Amino acid sequence: MDILKTKLTRRRFLQASGTAAGATAVAGGVGYATLAPVSEAQAQSGGGTTITKSICAQCPARCGIDVYTTDGRVHAIYGDPGNPIANGKLCPKGHLGTYFLYDADRFRGPMKRTNPKKGRNEDPKFVPISWDEAFGTVAKRLQALRDKGESHRFAHFYGRGWGPTDAGLYGDFGKLYGTPNSAIGHASLCAEGSKRAKQATDGNNSYNAYDYKNTNYILNFGAGFLEAFRPYNNLMQQWGHMRTKSPKTRITSIDVRMSTTMAASDRALMIKPATDAALALAVAHVMLVEGMWDKEFVGDFKDGFNLFKSGQEVPEGSFTEKWTLGLAEWWNTVVKDATPKWAAEITTLSESDILAVAREFGSTRPAMAIMERGPTAHTNGTYAGMCIHALNALAGTMFAKGGMFYQMGVPYGGLPVKSEDFMDEYAKSPDRKKPRLDLAGSADWPMTGTMMQECAKNHLAGKPYKMDTAMFFYTNPIFTAPDAKSWEEALKDVFVIDTSPFPGETAMYADIVMPEHTYLERLQDSPTYPFEGWPMTALRVPAIKPLYDTKHFGDMIIEIGKRMSGPMGEYYKALGNVENIVRARAKGFEANPGDNGVNSYESWVEKGVWFKKPYHWRQYRGEFYEWDGKDYTKKMTADDVKAKLMKTPSGKFEFKSGFLEKHAEYIQRTLGVTPERVGFPQYLPAKHTGGGGDLHLVTPKTSMHAEGRGANLPHAIALAQPSMGGKTTVYLEIHPETAKKRGIKNNGKVRLKANLGTIEAIARYSPATRPDTLILPQEFGHWAQGRWAKGRLAGNTSEICDNVSDPISGLACYYTGKVTIEAA
Amino acid sequence: MAKWGMVIDLDKCTGCTACTTACGMENNRLPGENWQDVLFYQEGEFPSGTMKWFPRPCMHCENASCVEVCPTRATYKDPEGGLVLIDWNKCIGCKYCMIACPYGVRFYTDEKAPIQPDVKQVFKGDGKRSWNPPWRAPENRDDWKHGVGVQPNGVVSKCTFCYHRITKAPKGTPDLDPNNPALREFTPACVVTCAPTARFFGDLDNPNSEVSKMIANQRGVRLRDHTGNKPQVYYLTGGAGGAIPTDRRDKKS
Repeated sequence: MDILKTKLTRRRFLQASGTAAGATAVAGGVGYATLAPVSEAQAQSGGGTTITKSICAQCPARCGIDVYTTDGRVHAIYGDPGNPIANGKLCPKGHLGTYFLYDADRFRGPMKRTNPKKGRNEDPKFVPISWDEAFGTVAKRLQALRDKGESHRFAHFYGRGWGPTDAGLYGDFGKLYGTPNSAIGHASLCAEGSKRAKQATDGNNSYNAYDYKNTNYILNFGAGFLEAFRPYNNLMQQWGHMRTKSPKTRITSIDVRMSTTMAASDRALMIKPATDAALALAVAHVMLVEGMWDKEFVGDFKDGFNLFKSGQEVPEGSFTEKWTLGLAEWWNTVVKDATPKWAAEITTLSESDILAVAREFGSTRPAMAIMERGPTAHTNGTYAGMCIHALNALAGTMFAKGGMFYQMGVPYGGLPVKSEDFMDEYAKSPDRKKPRLDLAGSADWPMTGTMMQECAKNHLAGKPYKMDTAMFFYTNPIFTAPDAKSWEEALKDVFVIDTSPFPGETAMYADIVMPEHTYLERLQDSPTYPFEGWPMTALRVPAIKPLYDTKHFGDMIIEIGKRMSGPMGEYYKALGNVENIVRARAKGFEANPGDNGVNSYESWVEKGVWFKKPYHWRQYRGEFYEWDGKDYTKKMTADDVKAKLMKTPSGKFEFKSGFLEKHAEYIQRTLGVTPERVGFPQYLPAKHTGGGGDLHLVTPKTSMHAEGRGANLPHAIALAQPSMGGKTTVYLEIHPETAKKRGIKNNGKVRLKANLGTIEAIARYSPATRPDTLILPQEFGHWAQGRWAKGRLAGNTSEICDNVSDPISGLACYYTGKVTIEAA
Repeated sequence: MAKWGMVIDLDKCTGCTACTTACGMENNRLPGENWQDVLFYQEGEFPSGTMKWFPRPCMHCENASCVEVCPTRATYKDPEGGLVLIDWNKCIGCKYCMIACPYGVRFYTDEKAPIQPDVKQVFKGDGKRSWNPPWRAPENRDDWKHGVGVQPNGVVSKCTFCYHRITKAPKGTPDLDPNNPALREFTPACVVTCAPTARFFGDLDNPNSEVSKMIANQRGVRLRDHTGNKPQVYYLTGGAGGAIPTDRRDKKS
């Protein structure tokens, strides 16, 4: 495929020049790039309409898409009927892919900065350069750093990685080059809380796969099931099924705001922010007192009589557990006092609602309790997640039909070269063992895997060291990270390489811009995000030749690598390009043909997806079985279950978490939990940030939030928040009484104040909103990103969000701030 | 001859607006000017407040008031499929139809763009088209007689039930089901993409079509039936026995 070998022709150079003018205009605010180069780039010959298989890139779901191209122009995108997630359907974002491709403000080629000063109002004064100069500049810089023994001062940052052709390259790059910061991922700004809650209880540091088709009850704690939970498109398909099957799946949603998910559910409980754990514990309390736990999975009292009596301890040794650990101790320490009355006071919900929910959940099978970052983006988030997930053990949901499990991997072929064979003395030296810049996994954050939000602060303090060079891929923390403005300070003296095709805030701080292809121009495979458990991987096939002089991010890594001296350079020369990687991965399908017949690179390109059903394990009435090729018949031993399914120290679902107990001293120091309680799912009052404001500020993602990249799409802006009538912006949702007390008018401009500063927004009266809570979708407030995004209200909520994280998961506490509000 | 109609199951609709964006992409709609809108309302107050939504395409009325008021007969009832269409060659942009329509589903080109900068200035038209986005539909789809293609200046536009797609379906097809590979490309964009499968499209004159059966079995209702417009879009509202009565007989036939 020649698209992977772009040369700098005169035409492309001219396009790049056009970009320079455009980028300058974005920074300076006058005039825009002409569209002439767009038309020129479109002038590609073609015949009839072709449909190319690709994958949407606007959320993690990886819906297969059919891209319609006629006469060299992409004009339509529909769901791929052969893709098991999309099934021919799409969410509202999916159709907008064409607009990303033709975004009038896209970068048109590599550029370098000529104004050394960096700041919001500094014009970077970009000038176009060739790709060779761009790669050469970066490689020279990295080589010099390595020659000084300071390779650890180079950091990769990434947001949405898709798989082997991009984020999959980081590990080897870090090993060969010698940096612990390849790469610093974004999970701690995303949903790390639910992963850690699952690691602490069932031993899987992962999101779940779900069997929605067969469930009869969903207790939904703060997952935007019909807006932002993934895979959104498929969830809506499941919704249509669940709401019309017999019996109809009942759904109770718990959230802090009125959303389509809440409105469409059978019951909506508007809970006080950060108190979900109390509700979950009360549900557990009622299930135990009323004997509604799944005895086949959990176990029972020795003599069969239920000794769980509200407020009373059960005698030691009276309960025999099967697949769980520590139920009686959890009851005695935490749950016996977690009555509906107790929870009602904390959550502000009514006792009768709590009792009704508990009885419904406890008496319906299969039932599942789901959650996402709503309950977990607080200082008490991991414990809250554990309380919620504990309900899945009590209900026997784990690995059951209509329950939840974990995603299987793809039987990919190996790469033709192994990085281990290309490590020089420098790479192997013990001197390379340096802490990560974000200090994830160090004594400061011993239980975390990644802490991107700490990097600006750490760089400014020089602790553990100062960054020299940073390369950004699919992430823009200078806009999105908590205390976003601290990044504007931090990146001033860092050599910044941005790879986004769009002129975002990071690009305005960039020393080198290396624009990547938009997703419709890429060749890229992507194993599924947790879905239904069975393995799947989809493929992006370029629907069109790149419109501009852009490159695949993976090829950028490889090209920089090739220019490094010694064996590292040899490794990347041998690796070649991303197409080689995709072809090598596809080799694995020869021995493992997919259900749709995909057994090679060529058939993968044609069908766009490889998958192989079914999921291999199932828990049925308290026994675990493995798939034998025809049915779940192979009974599993406790050791099997521990190795393959519940990877906790005990091999059981732990109500008393061995993982947390290992860190008892740290948890006591950071959260004040005493060692004897540390392992148990429990409610802790959250430590609210913001500097003492009187109103909770919650900043959700709406269904049009294309992971922050939709802010420059006029079509997306017009639909950003239709629930509040937004056609040009997102509104701050405020209860009319809360507003009137402060003299705030409907549609009036308001100022939100917190310790970090103020932002402005337009208020809309929303009687369904909690009077103690303000809702403002995190969407706008850009100071770059293109002509439609820049300067659009509401302000950027990340600017007034403290950089405070859950000590256990490291998840940034985006939803825990309290602010004051006044008319502006 | 078919009488095409749509059934929207409000009990399954999730208010996602994929119908809006699919239509916008398929029909080159301007941002914020949605042929297929979803309207949202809040009712009640915390802690028992709720939100409701209502997906609203053109109703393609049997007795369409827009057709009655059009001074140039630009808006007409298509004899082949029972659609309400606009002939852009004849439309003079007087907007009478926009006032006459009880459902607010007609759009004039030259209103001030809600989203600034105006995309029509960024992707400038060529005198024929009011704008010229690089993602516009293939040239050979332009069909002014049926109001299909990039909207020209000075005219009113509206949902065509994806005329350019459904007219390619084999004659006599009772239902256009997007899950049937042979019919998928002929099904309206909003029906193709609807993830919870809340939308159905078929021939209302065929008593054996799925849409006819749904309207009967699940008590389909029409919006503002008292106007006598007789919409060809039916809503299912949960299947309860108590429902707003509708008259499905076509007095004209």
